[in-house]
Amino acid sequence: MSAKKYEIRLHGVAASPGIAFGRILRIGGDVVEVEKRTIQADQVAVEIEKLKIALAKSKADLQEMYEKTRASYGEEAAEIFSVHKIMLEDPMVVDESENKISKEKVNADFAFAMVMEKYIGLLRGMNDELFKARSADVIDLKRRVIRYIQGGAPSRLKQLKEPAIIFAKELTPSETIRVDKSKVLGFAMDFGARTSHATILARSIKVPAVVGLNNARDILNDGDFVVLDGDEGVCIVNPTRKTIAAYRKRHADYITFEKKLSSIKGLPARTKDGKDIELASNIEFPNEVDSIVDLRGDGIGLYRTEYLFLAGDRQPEEEQQFEEYKTIIEKLNGKPLIIRTFDLGGDKPSEFLPMPVELNPFLGVRGVRLYRGAGHDFFRSQLRAIIRASAYGDVRIMFPMIACVSEMRYCRTIMDEIMSDFKAKGVRFNKKIPFGAMIEVPSAAATADLIARECDFLSIGTNDLIQYTIAVDRGNKNLAYLYQPYNPAVLRFIRDTIKKGHQQGAWVGMCGEMASDPLMTMVLIGLGLDEFSISPVSHLLVKAIIRHVEYAECENLAQKALALSTSDEVKSYLEDVYNKKFKHLQHFPH
Amino acid sequence: MKSKSFIVKNKFGIHARPARLLVETASKYKSDIYISKNGEEINAKSIMGILMLEAGKGAELVLRIVGEDENEALQEMEAIFEKIATIDELN
Repeated sequence: MSAKKYEIRLHGVAASPGIAFGRILRIGGDVVEVEKRTIQADQVAVEIEKLKIALAKSKADLQEMYEKTRASYGEEAAEIFSVHKIMLEDPMVVDESENKISKEKVNADFAFAMVMEKYIGLLRGMNDELFKARSADVIDLKRRVIRYIQGGAPSRLKQLKEPAIIFAKELTPSETIRVDKSKVLGFAMDFGARTSHATILARSIKVPAVVGLNNARDILNDGDFVVLDGDEGVCIVNPTRKTIAAYRKRHADYITFEKKLSSIKGLPARTKDGKDIELASNIEFPNEVDSIVDLRGDGIGLYRTEYLFLAGDRQPEEEQQFEEYKTIIEKLNGKPLIIRTFDLGGDKPSEFLPMPVELNPFLGVRGVRLYRGAGHDFFRSQLRAIIRASAYGDVRIMFPMIACVSEMRYCRTIMDEIMSDFKAKGVRFNKKIPFGAMIEVPSAAATADLIARECDFLSIGTNDLIQYTIAVDRGNKNLAYLYQPYNPAVLRFIRDTIKKGHQQGAWVGMCGEMASDPLMTMVLIGLGLDEFSISPVSHLLVKAIIRHVEYAECENLAQKALALSTSDEVKSYLEDVYNKKFKHLQHFPH
Repeated sequence: MKSKSFIVKNKFGIHARPARLLVETASKYKSDIYISKNGEEINAKSIMGILMLEAGKGAELVLRIVGEDENEALQEMEAIFEKIATIDELN
């Protein structure tokens, strides 16, 4: 007799809208756990055999990856896998592991982990950044072999056989990227925030996400049936029939609403009194382009390129990047594509770039700061690829984490060097390729006029601007009350950035989460924002709002909102206005 | 015993691909083959050993070969060092 199951409601933070029904699949971090066990003398041979088999299977995998990669990308791209294979054949690695098993009488996975840890430590301790970077290869190999010793599969994410709602502690960017997107119904995470990588992905592939569920992953079991409510930030385990029926109805209403919204596709994002607003989209992966084209918006205002550095097993080549950028710009059919150069560091470490261990990575080497050091060669090859792609359409360049004018000039110098090299070689490109700075650091917002003098446009990145302005970690759940987009200091920085940009003849856009927030749409229009670049899921809603307001009333509203003293006052004022003015959009959560 | 010294000439040093080439070549021979830098000597048939030398551009390496096929081994290892000097890409 099975125990009666009760409905359980778990409360978290809404991170991507929508409702999903389905069974859950829990995934661990991409960390292999190894336990030390003492073995009997007669088990030594067994453990050594386990190690040998795991090494053989791993080598077979690597051989296959080598051949596949060589077939599609060429010898050079495949090289790394033959290096990995040779590492597993290394007599030191094999002998040391076997010695540990037989002399210390420990289990194979533990012995192998210790040996690999030793090399990882030695490599990390090296002075030369390039040698340091090889530690990522050894980490990769360690995981691969240990999973085989433990009888596990290479990676659970790749093995999603049936559609499921993914439950995790927190997904790292490189795990997120390996998820088979066609099989994911939603994401639920114990940690994480609205702005973490996996939730950005959730919004871009239009599945619901709920974060901040505390220890949900540990109390649930694979296969539990849940309703994931990404509008309210709730996860309902073992829902009753009544609950399911209520959600089915809401889901159906939601679909109807979406259909209604889609009737404004193709209509201009223009206020009632005739002010045109550029309404562009944020994308993360090249395969999202088709849905962007389908929205018939104003192109792409933020193409995040980090995936190039997070996916796969190898650093991206100029040629491969060029092909991807070219494909995208050709599909956009004359509309602009703003490519942001890679923004790694902080919460987005890459296996290919040696990152120093920093006590405070958010104040450390990230974004543009990486380009002078370890990221310099990648920066150059990415810029070369972007500039080459500019021959095929309206490609623009945006630099992340600009803190001062000298960083802008540095980027400019490298661009100039590349362009004069191209000129000399007769490579085709747009000689006036527009470029701009992301404004997401308070020092940049305060000097937006000085920065705007050096470039063509500014784009406000609100996620970082909020956390740096208020000095609050955006992932810290205990401080969620402080991380408020409606904070008066943040609003003033936005107002000033727009004004200062305009004074210098630069246009000013916004590509952060705030641009997708329907409560803020009128304020931003009123402050004179020229371009909104938002996640595709919010595109039509924001357009519906724009088409429903007058510029003059937005100016008025912005002034009032900016005169308020606290985030809560701003928020409740905007909610009031929204609820009165947009009854017809009520169904969409904000 | 055969011995010869080399200066690392390529931009990125004895990195992944150069190390692989050295190991693959050394492993073909019966002789014991060693490479040392600043007195630290490692087995040239071990890629971990080679990486541990942290041999960047300009490093001075000494190759030492002991065994029945040391003449042939030296000849081919020399050729590989020359080939490595021309490897410019990061790999």
